[in-house]
Amino acid sequence: MSDELIQAVSVTRQYTRGGETLRVLDELDFSVARGAFTALMGPSGSGKTTLLNLIGGLDRPDGGQVLVDGVDIGQLSDADLARWRADNIGFVFQGFNLIPVLSALENVMLPLLLAPVSRKERSERAAYALELVGLADRTKHRPSQLSGGQEQRVAIARALVTDPAVLLADEPTGDLDRESADNVMELLRRLNSELQKTILMVTHDPQAARSAQTIAHLDKGRLGRLEKVEAEAGAAP
Amino acid sequence: MKIPFRVVFRNLVRHPVRSLFTAGSMTVAVFLMVFLRTVVASLDAGVDQSQSNRLIVQSAVSLFVNLPSTYGTKIESVPGVVETNKWVWFGAYYQDPSNFFAQFAVDEETLLDVYPEIEVVDGSHEEFLAQKTNCLVGKGLADQFGWKVGDTVPLISQVFPKTDGGAWEFTIAGLYEPSRATVDARTLFFHFDYLDETLEAGGAMGQRGTSTYTLYLEPGANPTQVMAEVDALYENGPQRVQTTTESEFNRQFVTMYGNVPMFVNSIGGGVLLAVLLACVNSMLMAARQQTRDVGVMKAMGFSDTVMAGTMLSQSLIICVLGGVVGIFLAVGLVQAMGPMMGSFLPGFGVHEGALGFGLVLSVGVGLLAGLLPALRSNRLRPVEALRSLE
Repeated sequence: MSDELIQAVSVTRQYTRGGETLRVLDELDFSVARGAFTALMGPSGSGKTTLLNLIGGLDRPDGGQVLVDGVDIGQLSDADLARWRADNIGFVFQGFNLIPVLSALENVMLPLLLAPVSRKERSERAAYALELVGLADRTKHRPSQLSGGQEQRVAIARALVTDPAVLLADEPTGDLDRESADNVMELLRRLNSELQKTILMVTHDPQAARSAQTIAHLDKGRLGRLEKVEAEAGAAP
Repeated sequence: MKIPFRVVFRNLVRHPVRSLFTAGSMTVAVFLMVFLRTVVASLDAGVDQSQSNRLIVQSAVSLFVNLPSTYGTKIESVPGVVETNKWVWFGAYYQDPSNFFAQFAVDEETLLDVYPEIEVVDGSHEEFLAQKTNCLVGKGLADQFGWKVGDTVPLISQVFPKTDGGAWEFTIAGLYEPSRATVDARTLFFHFDYLDETLEAGGAMGQRGTSTYTLYLEPGANPTQVMAEVDALYENGPQRVQTTTESEFNRQFVTMYGNVPMFVNSIGGGVLLAVLLACVNSMLMAARQQTRDVGVMKAMGFSDTVMAGTMLSQSLIICVLGGVVGIFLAVGLVQAMGPMMGSFLPGFGVHEGALGFGLVLSVGVGLLAGLLPALRSNRLRPVEALRSLE
């Protein structure tokens, strides 16, 4: 088993807008080790979210390869790619993106519909995931009845519940106040250290990025410097 | 394909007023279509179940011009004709003009030979024959007015009013039930002679004669040849006749109301198109509002097909629910109107074909209304959907 869980090899992604071609990722090489917690930083338009979407199989590269656990996901059909996402990826979005008509428990149970598990097991696993993020007492609440921090923790529980190899978080603290943001980052740190989840997080927040082990800086579609984060006193290793 | 039905059902109540109105519009459309189709089916039933061994002779001028009652003997001599039966439209009401139903003066002795589908279920044909003032009443009519065998029924005829201004009186000698839609269960039959002799004696006013003759043919008789021969009998008068098959007569009778099927299809088609467009619009709105949800679920791994199915299910459920309510309402109305409509439309009642049509319509509109939103959900790329501001 390769030590590199995620590999982007000479990845190019470009968009055409108003007759002008914009190269968002330009033959980018990038990798994330298994069990690592990496933050992606960079100015707006540097290609952070585009890279995250390519690694998560939400988008396809125009050139190069994206390999996750040895699978070249660009070669998968749409149906296989959807199946692959269900098995391997958990997403956490800036806007939480919970399904508003479902309760917290039902939101977390939703991805398990794609797994061969009984309804009882779905319910138990979802309840456990909510307990893991500290929301065991909010299972029946609708998203509109939760605070932003709680919504994001439900979203993290939903991303976790299928036990994916990779968690991809796109600005997970972008819509949160400082205290909620710190709680979410603490939670992600624990998932990484205790459950060995490989986490790739896009963020503009330097303080949030300090929760990761490595900060990768993107600029104009290319990888800039890689910064190792030193463990802060009191922070989980 | 595993449709997340919890999401489907919750989305249906996400905007309850919109869902209610969409289902309500389907209810109205299906109710209207099922009811109108019931009317058409009832009209067709009389035509479809017509007997090929019965011919109807009427005046070549109009159904409203009576033929001489002496024609019967000559017509019966035409090869192939076994029996004839005179029918005269009596045009009376019971107690109040709103209690209107069909009554006919007929040849009492041959009535059941020519119309074997008339089955006497209470009293007897013999009792019917015993007195000139006796009558046979459809069980549906007796149930409607609470009549029973032995009761005297006073009727005021607008076609043959009594000269003393009083009512015609009939004694119920039997109740019948028809086994086919060619005869209505809400008709009163009485002796032709009672009418004719009263007219002759000056006890009532009106044109003597007969509205139609029904000819009962022997097995193997050629109806076309019989029709030609009967028409030829009176080609030079004194009054020309027109002979048709029973089904053609019924069809002509139906067309007196106008081209009902075309009328029904035009109204129904227009309403249906309007409802379809309203449902498509409603489902497109729902799809737009669920764009981000579609993106999130696709990111989780739900396939394009499942997301299309989720949208299509919403449309189907809402339209079928609305349609089924419409079907129930139409059935209720048809059953409530049965006693009133039976005299005009023999066989008026709930037709399975009309109900099936309503159900097919509901499913069809549901599928069509959900098609565009489903295609949209199917094609939506997760990245674009997640960017949605809806």
